Amino acid sequence: MSKQSSPLVLLLAGGVGSRLNILVQTRAKPAVPFAGLYRIIDFSLSNVMNSGMNHVGVMTQYQPLSLMRHIGTGEAWDFTGRSRGVKILPPSTGFKDSDWYKGTADALRQNMSFIKTHPSEEVLVLSGDHVYHMDLDDMIHCHRGNKADVTIGMMVVPKSEIHNFGAGITDSEGRIIEWEEKPKVPRTDLASMGIYVFKTEYLLALLEENRGDTDFGMHIIPKAVARDNVFAYPFRGYWRDVGTIQSYWEANMDLLQKDPILLPETWGIRSNPYADGRPADRIPARFARGSKVTCSMISAGCIIEGEVVNSVLSPGVVVKKGALVINSVLFDDSVIEERARVDLAILDKRAIVGAGSVIGNGENKNIPNKRHPGHLYTGITLIGKEAIVPDRTVIGRNCIVSPRCRKDNFPEPCVSDGETV
Amino acid sequence: MKLKPDTLAMILAGGRVDELNVLTYYRPKSAVPFGGFARVIDFPLSNLMQSGLELVAILSQYRSYSLINHIGIGEAWDMIGRYRGISILPPFKGSAGSRWYRGSADAVFQNLDFVRYHAPKNILVLSGDHVYHMDYQKILDYHQEKDADMTVAFLKVPMTEAHRFGVAEIDDEDGQGGRVLRYAEKPEHPEFSWASLTVFCFKSHILYDVLEINAREDDSYEFGRDILPRLIREGRRIYGFKFDGYWGYTRTVDEYWQTNMDLLGPEPKIRLDEWGIRTNIEHRNIRDCQPLRVGDNAVIQDSLVYNGCTVEGHVERSILFPGIYVRPGAVVKDSVLFFNNIVGRDARLNKVVSDVNTVFGDNVEVGFTDDGVEQRVTVVGWNNEIPDGTKIGSGATLYPHLAPESLLGTIKPNEVVR
Repeated sequence: MSKQSSPLVLLLAGGVGSRLNILVQTRAKPAVPFAGLYRIIDFSLSNVMNSGMNHVGVMTQYQPLSLMRHIGTGEAWDFTGRSRGVKILPPSTGFKDSDWYKGTADALRQNMSFIKTHPSEEVLVLSGDHVYHMDLDDMIHCHRGNKADVTIGMMVVPKSEIHNFGAGITDSEGRIIEWEEKPKVPRTDLASMGIYVFKTEYLLALLEENRGDTDFGMHIIPKAVARDNVFAYPFRGYWRDVGTIQSYWEANMDLLQKDPILLPETWGIRSNPYADGRPADRIPARFARGSKVTCSMISAGCIIEGEVVNSVLSPGVVVKKGALVINSVLFDDSVIEERARVDLAILDKRAIVGAGSVIGNGENKNIPNKRHPGHLYTGITLIGKEAIVPDRTVIGRNCIVSPRCRKDNFPEPCVSDGETV
Repeated sequence: MKLKPDTLAMILAGGRVDELNVLTYYRPKSAVPFGGFARVIDFPLSNLMQSGLELVAILSQYRSYSLINHIGIGEAWDMIGRYRGISILPPFKGSAGSRWYRGSADAVFQNLDFVRYHAPKNILVLSGDHVYHMDYQKILDYHQEKDADMTVAFLKVPMTEAHRFGVAEIDDEDGQGGRVLRYAEKPEHPEFSWASLTVFCFKSHILYDVLEINAREDDSYEFGRDILPRLIREGRRIYGFKFDGYWGYTRTVDEYWQTNMDLLGPEPKIRLDEWGIRTNIEHRNIRDCQPLRVGDNAVIQDSLVYNGCTVEGHVERSILFPGIYVRPGAVVKDSVLFFNNIVGRDARLNKVVSDVNTVFGDNVEVGFTDDGVEQRVTVVGWNNEIPDGTKIGSGATLYPHLAPESLLGTIKPNEVVR
């Protein structure tokens, strides 16, 4: 893609993503670690890089610090240089338009001057919280070929899931003729991926029209579908919205299939290993004699003395002698002490599971978490950042141990299914 | 603490000196991979960084591309900034004649302009070829305390080994070290056994003078062989500083292999994490590797494995650099595999050091021995494709980039294939 014709990319990274529960207590959803070495936003940023686009604005609002640190100068994704750049666009006060972002479209509206100062034929709007691999350049070509005002990236999904998405009904040429946002009764299997290409002039005019139109899916897209040239860009590759604990965990497990369908290295996904304030050059993972690891992903800096099955380990995780980790996702520098067992859990950074403790006890996965039944209902237990689970503590299914919990927070050595500490 | 440093560190990374066989055909010894992700020169560089010595020059002559690539801008060792930096000093042409570096001392001599520009009080000369962990600040402090003209780090070695090193007799003053009484470079019949680690600390004006005399009067230009004896003859204050840590000296492939094995076991002698080894993860783009993938039936025992590998077979007492693929049924034991090797199905690798981009076909067997013969290290040069079913005997050497046809059938133990 030549530099002149490169579209301006706007990445929506400001949402709370509250369904990820304690994983987003101190960070924005796009900054949640994923697949050992990455953060969720790396997929969008790398797709942009690999598609040859040069200018990116990242709209932040909720807990932007770890995200800003991660993006840094944008060097990790080749966005530094005279004709390239990545800019963080937080909400700001001014003569007008001073307010928090009230929605996806509102975030763009408040940055219309940014769009105008980066003249381009198209604006590509992406979401920072999806795990996918896509040639965005091809989507731009289709948009141009169709002479479309708007092109929407649409994934073919089972009809039973369409109620979670914006759904588009197309004619034989791929033109979207009807739009339904999160329909209760499915009429199509084309789900919006939250990826939009707009003709820049068209977008600016539409945003000017009605300040009450704050959301793309709810307001802008239905309006455009009703009167203008909106096309679907059908996509059949890997794409996952990892906005829930369940889908986040499943996407991690996608890495571990025998013939994996999620291939970050093959897709050219890059991360920024320097962002964490720790040396990026962790030493190779060490496997002690007597350790046992199968069907897992293990990052540099891990020390494995115990057993790890079907799990994803970020850098620096320690699994001590006699410990077992199964079906779990462990973030950086978490420690599983001797003889502890971790089954179906997500551990945030630097969490410690004391010797002989059990995370995910028992076989009853059907008692949802009492405080957040909509977040934890399949048996997954969450252990928060820097939480310390004391020795010989037994924690059940669908439990939450809040970040930085200490010994005093555990009055009983036993936490039943669905409880929160 | 002053902003402008008073010590300049100079790393000797130029030579190949026929060491390490096929592993140094295309790179200097200091750029040989080590430890599953790093290079040998990362040891002195990380030591310097942790000693707070961040003004560094690297003298490089032999096949310097891989080294230059590895150093990058020096950011990996935090050596960027106003008075921090790594300068690579290659041989150059000048108006007053031009020549290759004729030895380690000549390399520094030819760059005295550079050295004088920085006006250091002390100059620390190091080798880029050794695996060790040392706080250079201690030897600098000792050098200062003794008001020495030159201070040299020494390690006690067995008398039987002393003939391989520059060895000294030290007058023990204070437990830390003392005056160097006698020194002999690789003596046939050694009488003393404190071996030089090639860690030399000089008062700068002493070094300037001796290098100029050496260049004018001698016909050999080495720090150990020429400079140190000359300063002793001149009656300078030469001190020995005793070092008792781990020192990995890797002149032969066997020694290189052994040093790698010292990374393994329940109590590794080389503690990469405690030593704080830093490397440049931009080099070979190892930063872009995904985590190691371990398959359903994989076994990994007593090994170091970096990101970017896929292990579906059996790996034991081995070190895997990024991009190694061990297919199902393959068994890799006591081996060191550099970047991007593929080990085919049911292949067997025993005590192998394999350079980058080598493919071991299915059912290949490397390292077989004749009955009753001790297993030796087999070394495979880079970019080799070993056909399915080939058998390679223990102690064999495969040159880089051989035609696959020349590797069919059986290669006998200790055979050299060129």
